[in-house]
Amino acid sequence: MRILVVEDDAEAATAMVRGLTEAGHEVTHAVDGAFGLLESQKGGYDVYVVDRMMPRLDGVGMVETVRKGGDQTPVLFLSALGEVEDRVTGLKAGADDYLVKPYAFAELIARVEALARRRETGGVQTVLKVGDLEMNLIARTVHRGTTEIDLQPREFQLLEFLMRHAGQSVTRTMLLEKVWEYHFDPQTNVIDVHISRLRSKIDKGFERAMLQTVRGAGYRLEA
Amino acid sequence: MRLPSLLRRTPFRLTLLFLALFVAAAGAILAYVYFASASEAQGRAQAEVEAERAALTAVYRTRGLDALNQALVERAIRAGPYLYVLKGSDGKIITANISDVPEGIDTGDWEPFRLTDTDADGRVRRRQSIGIDTRLAGGEHLFVGADIGDVEDYLARLTQALWGAMGLVILLGLAGGLYISRRVESAMAGLNRVVSAVQEGDLKVRAPIRHSGDELDELSQGLNLMLDRLEASMASIRHAGDAIAHDLRSPLTRMRAKLEVALIDAEAGQIDGVDALGVALDEADHLLKTFNTVLAIARLQSGGAPDPQRMDAAALAADMAELYEPAAEDKDIDFSAEIETGLMIEGNQPFLAQALANLIDNAIKYTPSGGAVKLRARRRSSGEIEYSVTDTGPGVPEEDRERVVQRFVRLDNSRTEPGSGLGLSLVTAVAEAHGGRVVLDEGPGAYEGYGPGLRVALVLPPATAST
Repeated sequence: MRILVVEDDAEAATAMVRGLTEAGHEVTHAVDGAFGLLESQKGGYDVYVVDRMMPRLDGVGMVETVRKGGDQTPVLFLSALGEVEDRVTGLKAGADDYLVKPYAFAELIARVEALARRRETGGVQTVLKVGDLEMNLIARTVHRGTTEIDLQPREFQLLEFLMRHAGQSVTRTMLLEKVWEYHFDPQTNVIDVHISRLRSKIDKGFERAMLQTVRGAGYRLEA
Repeated sequence: MRLPSLLRRTPFRLTLLFLALFVAAAGAILAYVYFASASEAQGRAQAEVEAERAALTAVYRTRGLDALNQALVERAIRAGPYLYVLKGSDGKIITANISDVPEGIDTGDWEPFRLTDTDADGRVRRRQSIGIDTRLAGGEHLFVGADIGDVEDYLARLTQALWGAMGLVILLGLAGGLYISRRVESAMAGLNRVVSAVQEGDLKVRAPIRHSGDELDELSQGLNLMLDRLEASMASIRHAGDAIAHDLRSPLTRMRAKLEVALIDAEAGQIDGVDALGVALDEADHLLKTFNTVLAIARLQSGGAPDPQRMDAAALAADMAELYEPAAEDKDIDFSAEIETGLMIEGNQPFLAQALANLIDNAIKYTPSGGAVKLRARRRSSGEIEYSVTDTGPGVPEEDRERVVQRFVRLDNSRTEPGSGLGLSLVTAVAEAHGGRVVLDEGPGAYEGYGPGLRVALVLPPATAST
């Protein structure tokens, strides 16, 4: 996919461009908000990755302008050592997701891909299918093959998120933020425990494990 | 104390100011008394002279010049209070009881003049006099005057007395000012010593309390209280600084070692370097996490809770229970939650979630398998909202409870567990930023051989009436 990186710190930008390129994306770099705005107007991008602090036009200003122009391309906002207020300001300006520097590349890539994916799968779906796993969003039932799987409400939400991002890595932080809708550091790997419970329900007794652990990143649901 | 420095002292300057005011007032009174007395005496003399003149001109009118002359001679012999000069129409003096007749007194108006007199000791004195000239029908001139030197003498004595009194007042005032200055100075000296000692970095000094109950004592007490606070916070900053340095040093040292090993391995062409880099990255993440927490605590302590929103404390507790229950169960800990409904508070949800997470995580971490952890959210009878997490772990001895909420404090028996020692400090910072507090208590007591357990309560003020 095509990604526009708007970042004034040359070193950070180089690393980001390299990381995203290696992950198989086409990356363009703009050195500040003003150039970012110009570049965005050329169109054709799937995701904008925008740094908060920049000379001339900062991230908030750029995102606000982009949104006013009717451009709904997903925006991932980046900021140094995070404050709660920063996240709120970023999201209010029109950003779709927020990442605090320094971040793990796996986290950046997972979030960028999740944002782009969310855009592709527009429209209301009532049934999600990944391999032989099938989720009915109306009846709130899950089947793997012919076996019905009984899930707790939160497990259902967790699996729904994983299915919507099937084939993609999702990080623990993303799960806490998107499934539980909390932004804090849970100290221990509480998410891992929830995942292993879910895994025991959807993979136990089946030949092939669908819910994979991605080393250094998080989890991925494979068809 | 030298005078120039004395002049800069407030009490002394106030004394000088009051002295100046007093002298000005006394001067005004003196001037008033002086001029009032002088004009009254002159008026009286003029009235008397006027009466005498009327009597004498009557003599002249009825009985002629010779009779007037006769009357004047008789009066001169009787040595009355009046001064006479009778001049003929040719301007020559006919009769006078003044030896030295002043010039230019025949104007028909009141004329002040100086009378030359010889007193009992034979000294020549010039006395203040006043008189008026009358031109008689035959062209003669009759001058009648009076000596008002006594009045002048009286005024001079009065002035002298007043100046003397003023001098005395100034002297006494200066002495008093000096005395008060010295007293205040000596009282202030204690305070000044404390202030300069503090300026030089000594926070152990305290201002003397004289138990006189005056405002200086109050100031000293206030100053001492302030110094107590300052000393405590300096100590905690120093402690935190040491602790941060200490806590960051070991992961930094580990990271450095691992990077070095990775470099050596990579140079030797071994693939193991990648693993080492991964571990080094974990260490770096751990360091960053510690930094972030320290930063968050500092911000909470200085700025309060950011962006507070009206929120349901019960919903937060339920979510936390749901999130942590599997982790507790994995460790074979009986996790239960008892949550009342409708607990509205005003707060920052991410920070409160973090605080609750820290409490639950601590409880699970320190409770041995087979134990129990209970999360409660309730309204206290005071109306405050209370979250509490009770565990059946080893607990915290009473004497350590105040200490464990400080930054980086970890009790000896917890050093083997992973953690930064910042967990409870953050909880306390979050509570205080929301106007609440953290209370540590003993847990439910011995529980299947463990205990006595710990109960940590996070008490928050309820939201004000819904808007």
